[in-house]
Order: sequence, then C-alpha cells, then structure tokens
Amino acid sequence: MFSFYILVGILLISFVFFFLGKNQAKKVAYTNKKKLHSLIHYYGLYSLLSSLIPTLGIFFAITICDDLLFAELIKKYIPDEVVNSKDYNFTIVLAQINNSVEGLIFGTPPEWVANAAAIWKSWVLKSNTITVAVCTITIFIFGFFSLKKIQYEFRSRNAVEKIVTSILAVSSMIAILTTIAIIFSVVFESIRFFALIPYDEFLFGTIWNPQFEGADRAGSGQEGLSQYGAIPLFAGTFLISIIALCVSVPVGLFSAIYLSEYATSKERAFFKPLLEILAGIPTVVYGFFAALTVAPFLRSSGSIFGLNVASESALAAGLVMGIMIIPFISSLSDDVINAVPQSLRDAGYGLGSTKNETVMKIVLPAALPGVVASIILAVSRAVGETMIVVMAAGLAANLTANPLEAVTTVTSQIVTILVGDQEFESAKTLSAFALALTLIIITLAMNFYALHIVKKYREQYE
Amino acid sequence: MLINNDLKTLDLTVGDVFSQNPRLKARNVSVFYGDNKAIDNVTIDIGNKEVISFIGPSGCGKSTFLRCFNRMNDTIDSCAVKGEITIDDENIYDKKIDVVPLRARIGMVFQKPNPFPKSIYDNVAYGPRIHGLSENKEHLDGIVEESLKRAGLWEEVIDRLDSPGTGLSGGQQQRLCIARAIAVSPEVILMDEPCSALDPIATAKIEELIHELGNDYSIVIVTHSMQQAARVSKKTAYFHLGKLIEVGRTKDIFTRPQHHQTEAYISGKIG
Amino acid sequence: MNNKIISPSDALDIVKKSIVKRRSRDNRLKLFGRIAIGVAVCFLLTLFYSIFTKGYPGFFQYYVTLDIKFDRERIDPKGDLSDNSLFDGEASIIVNESLYSIIQPKGRKEKKLAKKIVSSGKDVRIAKMVKNNPSLFGTTTSVKFALDDDVDSFLRGYLKRETPENERRISDKAIQFIDKLNEEGRISYEFSDYILGGSASGNAEMAGIKGAFIGSMLTLSVCLLIAFPLGVATAVYLEEIAKKNRITEFIEVNINNLAAVPSVVFGIMGLAIFISIFGMPRSIPLVGGMVLALMTLPTIIISSRAAIRAVPPSVRDAAYGIGASKIQVIFHHVIPLAMPGMLTGTIIGMAQALGETAPLLMIGMVAFIVDVPNSVLDPGTVLPVQIFMWADFAERMFIQKTSAAIIVLLGFLISMNALAVYLRKKLERRW
Repeated sequence: MFSFYILVGILLISFVFFFLGKNQAKKVAYTNKKKLHSLIHYYGLYSLLSSLIPTLGIFFAITICDDLLFAELIKKYIPDEVVNSKDYNFTIVLAQINNSVEGLIFGTPPEWVANAAAIWKSWVLKSNTITVAVCTITIFIFGFFSLKKIQYEFRSRNAVEKIVTSILAVSSMIAILTTIAIIFSVVFESIRFFALIPYDEFLFGTIWNPQFEGADRAGSGQEGLSQYGAIPLFAGTFLISIIALCVSVPVGLFSAIYLSEYATSKERAFFKPLLEILAGIPTVVYGFFAALTVAPFLRSSGSIFGLNVASESALAAGLVMGIMIIPFISSLSDDVINAVPQSLRDAGYGLGSTKNETVMKIVLPAALPGVVASIILAVSRAVGETMIVVMAAGLAANLTANPLEAVTTVTSQIVTILVGDQEFESAKTLSAFALALTLIIITLAMNFYALHIVKKYREQYE
Repeated sequence: MLINNDLKTLDLTVGDVFSQNPRLKARNVSVFYGDNKAIDNVTIDIGNKEVISFIGPSGCGKSTFLRCFNRMNDTIDSCAVKGEITIDDENIYDKKIDVVPLRARIGMVFQKPNPFPKSIYDNVAYGPRIHGLSENKEHLDGIVEESLKRAGLWEEVIDRLDSPGTGLSGGQQQRLCIARAIAVSPEVILMDEPCSALDPIATAKIEELIHELGNDYSIVIVTHSMQQAARVSKKTAYFHLGKLIEVGRTKDIFTRPQHHQTEAYISGKIG
Repeated sequence: MNNKIISPSDALDIVKKSIVKRRSRDNRLKLFGRIAIGVAVCFLLTLFYSIFTKGYPGFFQYYVTLDIKFDRERIDPKGDLSDNSLFDGEASIIVNESLYSIIQPKGRKEKKLAKKIVSSGKDVRIAKMVKNNPSLFGTTTSVKFALDDDVDSFLRGYLKRETPENERRISDKAIQFIDKLNEEGRISYEFSDYILGGSASGNAEMAGIKGAFIGSMLTLSVCLLIAFPLGVATAVYLEEIAKKNRITEFIEVNINNLAAVPSVVFGIMGLAIFISIFGMPRSIPLVGGMVLALMTLPTIIISSRAAIRAVPPSVRDAAYGIGASKIQVIFHHVIPLAMPGMLTGTIIGMAQALGETAPLLMIGMVAFIVDVPNSVLDPGTVLPVQIFMWADFAERMFIQKTSAAIIVLLGFLISMNALAVYLRKKLERRW
C-alpha cells in the first residue's frame, strides 16, 4: 500500500514538472522573442522524464534491497536454539516472522517471533521514512536542474529523443538479462549439487532414487540410500521421444508432401490450418487425454492380446506426444518443400517424371536439410515437454526399453521434485537444477545443430 | 502494302505453314489463362529434323505455345488448351494419352539453366534411370558419356562427373541441361529462350550446338533475338499478340517478309 | 553415331512398358499422403470428441428442491447478517429438517446418511441467499441444493443399483431415500451454478473454475502489461535504431535461444530468482505473469520485427523527406502501420501463455486456494493448473468437471486465435 502511494506521488510531482517545463520554455521564448528549436511539449516532456526516471530507479532499488537487507539482519534475532535445531529452515522462519508482521497470527507464536516481528516493523518504518525523504530530494533536485537547462539554445527534442532511445536500448537488454537469469539460477544451484554428488554418478549412474534424505551419504553405515544416477531418466526421455517420432514423422512428412504437391488449393486451405490446431492445444489437455482416454484404452486392448500394459505407460505418453508434434514436422517441412524452386520441378516434369518421382527424387532431396532440421526441432520440443509425461507416464525411474512399462523423464522429475516444499540445501532439490541444466544443454544443442544444417545447405541453390 | 483497315479481314497465316514430313502438327490451337486468350487459333507443322525459330515481341505467346507441345501447361492450374496437337497422328491432348512418354519424346530446355542439385553424372542419368532405359551401370555410363558429348560438354567435365551440377558456369549448366534432355532419346527438343541468361561467348557455343543438333533432332527454339534466329534456324515463325502471322524460310522472313506486321517487327517499328 | 544411346523408338517402347508401375507408385504416394492427413484429423477428432462427451455433462448437475423456512432468529442469531452470526446460526439444521420431513429417516444412523445426500455447502448457499435478499426472512421458499457427488453419479447411472452393496459407494438405504425424493418430483437436472461460479473445492459437486479463471485473467493481464511494451520496444530498437554490430547480433542470438528453451526452465528461473532471491510471495499472479511475460517475449519480439520489416521503406523516406526525426518516424509512422501485425503476434503469444502449466507449477501456483483472488498480489491459480490438479481425482464428477474446464479453456483459446486471424485479415494492407 505504502509503495503504491509513493509511486502515485512520484508520478504526480513529475507531471507538475511537465507543466513547469512548458512554462519555462514559454518564458524563454518570450524573453528571446524568437521561436524555440523544439515544440513546447518537448520541454515539458524533458522535465518530466528527467525528474521521473532517476527517482523511479532509486525507489525500486531501495524497495528491492531493503527486503534482502532485512532478511540478512533479522538473522541476529533468531535465538541460537532455533538455529541449531534439527529442522531449522530459514525460509519457514522468515515466513513466520512475515506472517506476524502482517498480523496473521495463528494461536500464540513463540516470543522471539513476536520480538523479531516488532523489530522488523520498526525497520520498515525507518525504511519508509528514508524512501520518502530520498525520493523527494531526488525528484526535486533533478526537476529543478532540468528547468535550469531550459535555455534558448537547448534542443529539447533531441534530449528527449536521446532519453527515449536509451529506454528502448535498455528494454532490448531484457533478452540478455533473462538468459543471464536462467544461466545463473540453473548453473549456480547445479554447482552446489555437484559439490554433493559427483559428476560421474549423476551422468552414468543407473539408479535414480532421491527419496531418502536425511541419512548421511557416506560414513554413517547407511550409504547409498539416496542415489542420483540419471541414466533411467535419460532413457525414459529417449524412449518416449522415439515413440513420438514414430508417430509424428510419417504422419507429418506425408501430410506435408501431400499438401504441398498433390492437394488442391481448397484442400490445402482446409487441412493446413486443421493440422496447426494440434499445435495450439495446451499440453495439459493432451496430458489429460493421455491419462484418461489413451492409457486405459491401451491397457484394455493390451489385455485382449495378452499383453500387460501398465496404467501409466511410455506408449500412452509417447503416442500423445507424437500427436502434439505432428504440426511441427508437417508445417516446417511444408514450408521447406514449398521453398524448393519451381524450376527444378519443371525440369523434372519436362524429362517425363511422374509426380511421385519428382517429389521423391528431386524435391525431397533438395529439401532434405530443412526436413531433417524440422525433425530435430520436433525432438527438442518432445524432450522439453512436461505436462504430458507428468500426467501420463509414471514417476518411477525405470530403466527399460519396453514401451508398455511406466518410465519417467527428466522433465517429469523436475516437476515432481520442485512442486511442494523445498529445502534449497538438500541434494534432492538441487538435483532438479542439475536436471534442468542437462535439459537446457540438450535442447539448445539440438536447436543449434538444426540451424547449422539449414545454413550449411542453403548455399546449394542460391 | 496493305493499309490498316485491311488488318481485320486478314485472319490467315501467311507462308509455309505445312511441312512435307511433319513430326508435330498443331491444328487450331488456342490457349486460355482463365478468360484471357493467350494463343489464338494457331496452325503449324514442325518439320522432321529441322530447326524452327519462334520470334515475336514480348508477351506475344511464343513460350506459351511452345509449352503446349510437351503439355507443360498442364502444371498451371488456370491454363486451358483447345485444338489439337498430334504426333504420329495421335492427339497428345487426348484423355487416354499418358503425358510421361510424351515428355520423354519431346524434351525441353528452359530459359534459366536449372540443373538438379546433384552431381553432373546424376543430372544426366536421372532421365534414363526413371524411365528404365539402361540395362546396367555400364550402359548408363555410356548413355551419360554420349549425351554429354553430343551436348559438347564431355571434355570439360570428364574428370569431375561427381561434382555438383550447380557448380558449373552458366553456359556449362545450360549445356548440362541439354545433355540431360538428350539422355532420354527424344525426337523433338523444345528450347525456350535458352541463351537469354547467358553471356555472348556461352551463347555462341550453344548456338553452334543447336545448329549441329538439328541434324539429329527436330528443334523448336523460342528466341527474342532475330539475329539468333538467323544464325541457328532454317525456318522461322513470327507471332504477334497470340496469332501466328507468318511462317517461312528464315532468309526470306528477314529479307522479304510477306505480311506487313512481320515487316514492321523486322524493321524495328514494333517489339 | 554409336549404339550407346537408345534410338527414340526403342526408348518409347521401354517407357510405355514402365508407365503402369510408375503410375501406381504415384497413386500410392498420393494415398499415403491422404492417409496421413486422415490419421492426423482422426486424432484431432478423437481428442475433441473425448473431451466434449466427458465435459458436456460437467456443466450440469443434479439438484434437490427443498422447502426452507427462513427463520431469522435461527439463521442469523445476532441479527446483523455478519459472517460470525451466520456461522453460529442453524442454517444446516433447517435444511436437514426439511429433508427429514420428506424422507423420514429413523434413528441416528439413517439421519446421518440422509444428511450426506445434500451437498455440504448447504449452509453457505443459505447464507449467500439471505445476504443478497434479507426479505427472505419470515418466508418459506423453495431452494435448490446440489446433491452430493456420489448421489449425482448414481443418478447419472455410473453407480449402479445392481452392484452388491458392499462394492458400491452408495448404500441401499441412501438409494431408498433418493427414490423417495424422486417420486415427489424434487430431483432435477440443471445447468450447474457451481462449475462457473464456484471455486476449487474438495467436494466435486461444489467445485468450480471461477477462482482459477480470475487467476488466469489476472496473470495474463500482468503478462500482457509487461511483455507487450518490452517486446515492441525491443523489436523497434533492433529493427530501426540499432546498428548491426556484435551486440545486436548477440541480442538476436539470445532471443532465438530463449524461444527454444523449454517452458519448465522459465519456471525454475522464476523460482530461483523472483521467489528465492527477491523474496516475492509464491503463487501470486504477479510472479506468474512475470514468468509468462519472459516466456512470451521472444514470440512477441519476432512477430513485431516481421511486422516492422513489412512497412515499406517508402513510408519512412517520405517522413524523413518532410524533416521528421528518427524517433518521430518510428512513433508517428512505423509503429502505427506495424501495429496490426504486432497485435496479432501478441494475441497469439497470449493464447500460448494462457495454456501454459509447467512454469506456473514451478512457482507454486498449485496450492489449494479456495478464495477468488482479488488482486495480482493475492494467492491464486490458473485454469490449466486447476485442470492439472483435478485430473488426479478419480471421482466421476471430477472427471466431468475437469473436461468442462478444458472446454472453457479451449473456448477461450479458439476465440483468441480467431480474433488474431480476423484482425490479420481485416487490417491486412496491400502495399
């Protein structure tokens, strides 16, 4: 609430400076009896922006920092017995204190919590006062300074445009910032994970069983209770992706060939968007369909043939994922096939090829790099897919090549581990970050490779 | 000299429309793109083992008419062909005729060279392979070699048959396309402005080649250049706005044209 | 002339012989293509059929009509219609009394059974009614109450009479009571006021998507407010202002990478940065919107750049010619002309964001939240996550309501995409 009022205040004052700036400009024009370089509103804008932007910056800086600062400082007010107790978890303690601060009191909290809350409240009060003071000073200093600058020679429009350009440039940095944020969050925690679990166990171990935490890993006589071998996860991801490809590549490729070479324009106008609908359906809907329709169907048809299909099978998840991926292959391949120049087809027809021969021996080979790239991109999508596997495949890490069994995947484990309470210190939670790191590396590598293939073979007919 | 009003009454083509021993006969052929009439009631014979040029100003329909002979217009949805074109007394537009053997008999070379993104060998071997013309690898090698020789390209590519066809120069690529067409043993070769994308030296080479090929094949060449027509062909047909105006020996067309429109084109008044 | 090249007449014979086989191969390829499209369309239809047949009944429920005596002293003892007073009141007892008067249970056991027939939300319903309309006090009015989800399943025919009692979820006596109510014509099948008006609940008959829906709207609004300006600003900067140097290339590579990163990873980033480091609360639409905004940003940037590139240079040249500055050209000419394309891309991006589940699971929007969020700072959930959570419940009614929720979600997605297509067609310019 308080922040809201401050923001409103800052905005209002900067608007005041807008008018002050305009007036100043008018005065300067009058005294000099000549026209100014820029239109009047640019001077107002200049004042507004000059006063607003630095103040907003300082405001946000303080707001973000003080929460972090308080969290550090409050540690001093947590009694030692609590810190040294077995289930000590700073996040939960912090939440307790925060609840008390906001007045959400359930029963009688321990005295130290009430104390800490009182101290926190006093800090907040101090911080608020400081914020108001600093913001007021900043906005007035910058505001009046900007007014001073409005002289006859001042090219306000240029100044405003420079500010606008800088804002645009900074906005563009958001992409880089996001990447940095992702890398930072994943890599940092992964490093902490690999401090606990050695690389080779993670990458080459065949048992994934992170359930038993709390037992010491080595030297307590209970070694090996918790294991982090990710091979079953990689195998599960691989198995489901293969099944998905078996569905999507034939359907997608032949659809693309038909739509680009054989279909009438009416057929194409009707069926191409229809296929694209498959891409627009949310993955949670696919997951629901897989779990509640496909899996039971496979199970019952399996029992007719005497096969034992698990209720959460790789086949169910793979099939549905294949359906989801069809448009990736069909659309991209269709684009690539269409991009093959008509002159090549004409040459083929001119020699007496049937359509089939033209397509299979001339067009497809020419389009092959693009088709392969589209398949790689589809695989990358399959690997990164989460909801279908969480809902339809299993959660038990099972190293198998049998599609009728339940398997789990990298993404499924990430979700299972991170949904719910986490302790950021435990190997279990950190393993999710290591898995995420592997996931990022694999999907980005595949995307780079696909792009590389397309670039390398583009020279062929250009 | 005929005056302007007499134009409308003169609907007939002037000159030697018919040949002694025609390979192809076109009778009353009209071509429509949607409602637009691109070729209007053209009748002409293509003689056996001779080179005939189609000339005329841009947009007069020469290429469209050329493409009727091997039914390449079929690939364009809005195109409709009326009339009759016969080869050995069979109308090629008859519904029972399969277009594939037709196109093996009547080959085509396009304006812009369009070799396949395959090796030189595979480019030439493509046709024989799909039609099953060769019995074994040796036979195929022989066909490829002979085709490249007849196209005048063999000496230049003998040591790089496996390199991509697209790596050749423009003129070489066009000769590769000619070799490709020859490899399926056609009787007629249609050429749609084959030299317009080439430099003068490459053009000269190909013109020489066409002259030689005229001994073994019936060639129809569409060209923008009257000088080229004069160099390569014995017979010339002049088209104007979709109509066939005059046909005759190339020498005669250029020195003593019978129709005033032909004369106007030759002397540069139009086109 | 040597004998390597075949003579034309021989060639013709060979070709004519091979034609039949080649034509059949051609037809086969065409057939395969048709089969492939048919298979894909079949999948699509099966999916929709399955969802719609399961979901359509989810919009309806069985209700029982009971005559309720709105006795003020009993319902609102403190007389002020406050939550406290209503909580202490005897609304449930009054409902039960009305029920007993019809089916006449004997003894405590039967009464307990009878009570369970009506959904446990009966007192909430009474409370809502008197708050909205205090003039009900002193009257006896008919009120429709939802039936418990097992009763509902029985009435729909999923729980069968024929099954032996100990294998059934509903007892013989309860069935007797239900039959009695049916004889009196008090049971009706109506459009459910819970599915759209209710929020998450452990009881299937009271479960609804209102909370999740509002949560989705709030989250999407935050996403739009962040992603659209940032996306357009970045696109404008990269296309119009920035020089082609290493930095801009680097930014472009980043954008393309972000478009390829799986959505879960954005959730992880949100968890680690927004929640752990910045200490923002979990499960609030603000954080969800921020995560979705970063995820949608590449889509908006790429489509906005395409829209900007489509504006012909002649427009810019004309503006420069009059003496406009670069910024003026951009804001007065380029952006308005590119706006349709940018909007279309944004709508498509928002549609994708609406259906996203995994990243929001990561930041905790998966808690069981009963209240409808009032602001972007209140804990909430979104529609896809709600669907995910309900998918675990085995009760028939939950399956139906989940499918109904999916229908609502798909309905919105279809409308958004249709809007984008419509805008694209309507505002398409032929330069």
